Amino acid sequence: MDEGSPSAKIPPASTDELPFETALTRLEGIVQTLEKGDLELEAALAAFEQGVALSRHCTAQLEVAERRIQVLVREGAGFAARPFSGPEDAD
Amino acid sequence: MTDFLPRPLPERRIFTIAELLAGVRALLEESMGRLWVAGEVSNLRRASSGHLYFSLKDDAAQLRAVLFRADARRIPFELEDGLEVVAFGECSLYEARGDLQLLVRHVEPRGRGALQLAFEQLRARLEREGLFDLSRKRQLPAFPRRLGIVTSASGAALRDVIEVSGRRFPATPLLLAPTRVQGDGAEHEIAAALAVLASLPPDQAVDVILVVRGGGSLEDLQPFNSEVVARAIAGCPVPVVSGVGHETDLSIADLVADVRAPTPSVAAAAALPDRAVLRDRCARDLLRLYTAAERVIERAAARLGQRSEALARLAPRARVAAQRVRVEALARALERTAGRHAERARSRLATVAGRLDSLSPLAVLARGYAIVWNVNARAIVRRADECAPGDHLRVRLGEGELAATVEETLESARPLARGAESA
Repeated sequence: MDEGSPSAKIPPASTDELPFETALTRLEGIVQTLEKGDLELEAALAAFEQGVALSRHCTAQLEVAERRIQVLVREGAGFAARPFSGPEDAD
Repeated sequence: MTDFLPRPLPERRIFTIAELLAGVRALLEESMGRLWVAGEVSNLRRASSGHLYFSLKDDAAQLRAVLFRADARRIPFELEDGLEVVAFGECSLYEARGDLQLLVRHVEPRGRGALQLAFEQLRARLEREGLFDLSRKRQLPAFPRRLGIVTSASGAALRDVIEVSGRRFPATPLLLAPTRVQGDGAEHEIAAALAVLASLPPDQAVDVILVVRGGGSLEDLQPFNSEVVARAIAGCPVPVVSGVGHETDLSIADLVADVRAPTPSVAAAAALPDRAVLRDRCARDLLRLYTAAERVIERAAARLGQRSEALARLAPRARVAAQRVRVEALARALERTAGRHAERARSRLATVAGRLDSLSPLAVLARGYAIVWNVNARAIVRRADECAPGDHLRVRLGEGELAATVEETLESARPLARGAESA
């Protein structure tokens, strides 16, 4: 990951679809970069802002309330994933 | 007189060998019928037709035996030389050779169950092949993006997995490939489910697969002890976690899987990160983030102070007033910019800090503490003797700042009036 190196550009602020692992890795890269303390003020503040957004994103994923459980069903020659409402409604 | 005459010999009947053996064979089959016989397998030979030819022997005698392909297929274990068995079948005569032989319909190992033996044999064979080698085990991703599950759609195993995933990491979607998990042919369904999960298009792909089933008898767990499932797991391009049966059950599937869990719940826990740990980690990261940001701002403020003073020192007195005005305006602009940054950062920090109340340095200020900045020494004041009378101080409070001048430095703190706690 080059996100940890001080010269790395801070990625753009869109975190909506970011997988948890990527968000956490970026967040920790930003923390390390900031702690080294060799960013310009403006870049440091941008990094800080990005870090806060990533942290929020991670926390939201940890607290996600809506579960996604799907079941593969045969469809034609292949299979399709369909919502699965629970073990009770099967067979 | 006729008594004296030799009685005519009965008509000499000459049997063909085939007739004789057919007669003996009929006698054998009629009088002996079907029976059980115990012995040790030796001279086992598998014909290309699939029939098995071998001898059954004990200390005193031996008997030829044949097990035809259709019957051989129903036996779960492998016949092998030296194996003590009980065979069920009928005695017959192999007329082409005149050999007595046992037509075996069914064989059981002596002293242990057929399934137990089958398990031990398959385990030994796959082990020799290297299928259980630690070097084959793949590491699971730290944060699976999507978890595949191979089990019955109606079993307790699935309920356990769903429950544990909700506790540990609910953000990871689950994808069930439903199969039967016991009974004839279940092993093929399990293998097919693994294959389907492993070949999904990239947008649906799973990066860990759980193969799970609740406890049961050795017969119930048989599909997970089959070579078909063992090979399907070994050949699966996605790492597999097994959780079959109870703690004490060990299946072939367990031995081949990348990670072996004793139960379905533990399998789910092995595949998913623990969000309680991650919550702590995120909170720590956030704290480090704004501690670092505060340091950045402090340093920037110190640098600005230095430069303003340097500007003031270097400006030759005789220079045109307009130039001085320009420099001062520049310095003020710089100061304003930095102040704005500081203000913006502070407000962001305050937002974040609210959620980490007790840990936040800002919350500390809000409780009545202050940070004292010696403008002359350009350092944070931690001891009274770091200041001299006349030094200019900036006192940072929970909200806003004070500009102050040192009147006197005292060696030790005197008790504050009215017992106030603030430092």
